[in-house]
Amino acid sequence: MMEIAIVVAAIAIGSGIALLAGGMVGIGESYVAGKAVEGIARQPEAEGPIRTTMIIGQAISESGAIYALAVVLLLIFTVVNPLVSRLLELL
Amino acid sequence: MEPKVLFEIGSISITEPLFFTWLIMAILVIGGYILTRNLQTIPKGMQCLVELAVEGIEKLVSTDLGEEGRPFIPLIFMIAAFVLFSNVYGVLPGAYSPTGDLTTTAALAVLVYVMGSVAAIRKTGFKAWIKGFFEPYWIMFPINIAGEVSQVVSHAFRLYGNVFGGGILLGIVYMLVPYIVPVPLLAWFGVFMGVIQAAVFTMLAVAYIQLKIG
Repeated sequence: MMEIAIVVAAIAIGSGIALLAGGMVGIGESYVAGKAVEGIARQPEAEGPIRTTMIIGQAISESGAIYALAVVLLLIFTVVNPLVSRLLELL
Repeated sequence: MEPKVLFEIGSISITEPLFFTWLIMAILVIGGYILTRNLQTIPKGMQCLVELAVEGIEKLVSTDLGEEGRPFIPLIFMIAAFVLFSNVYGVLPGAYSPTGDLTTTAALAVLVYVMGSVAAIRKTGFKAWIKGFFEPYWIMFPINIAGEVSQVVSHAFRLYGNVFGGGILLGIVYMLVPYIVPVPLLAWFGVFMGVIQAAVFTMLAVAYIQLKIG
């Protein structure tokens, strides 16, 4: 029983650490948006292409955060939930 | 993470994503039929809106793909309309976004990948397409394969992760405060993020096809 509790706790801590990727990606995407604003301020007529490029660049750099989210969801829904119900049975 | 089974026809179980996918397809087909039934040279009413949407997609495709991208316009329009409708549809009470299920988004991503590859084969020939995997040196083959796979996976996971993650967050908020508070969050995750993610998915589909045939 103790072992299962330790595994669940470890996965919870690991999920929290994995979601740091979200914060990092937030910094990166904000930087992209800021640069795009600079570009639009300098050349307002190029707003359309700059916006398209910005959104595609942000979407691609978001992959890291999405992978982290997928890993966390898989951990929680396929590993933790069965373990927790097992733990409750044992209790 | 298995989808909920709504009911069964014979031995086929109709799951939630499947049911709502067909529902949205029906809405799109019937809506498309009604909106294009009585076209006029001088548009008025709903025809203006539809023409605006079609022209927007046409502009998006032709700026990236040029004249040879014209055959892709119906496909891209279909993807945009389906993803937009299924993202925003989740706002309705009791409704479910089919894009919040990995199988739907994976199907769309694989569809885009196959279309891009077929267009590349038709343009440059089968040999050149195979040779593309061994560029610039043959030793890069595994890296190229990994690149192709991760392109499809990230295309599918991006939409799925956003919709599903938003749904989980909304579910937690519903559990804590069931009234009033979830409404702005619903507008944010359902409508705003839904529209943005549909635009991103469409733009990435065009960009991936451009990478293949460009």
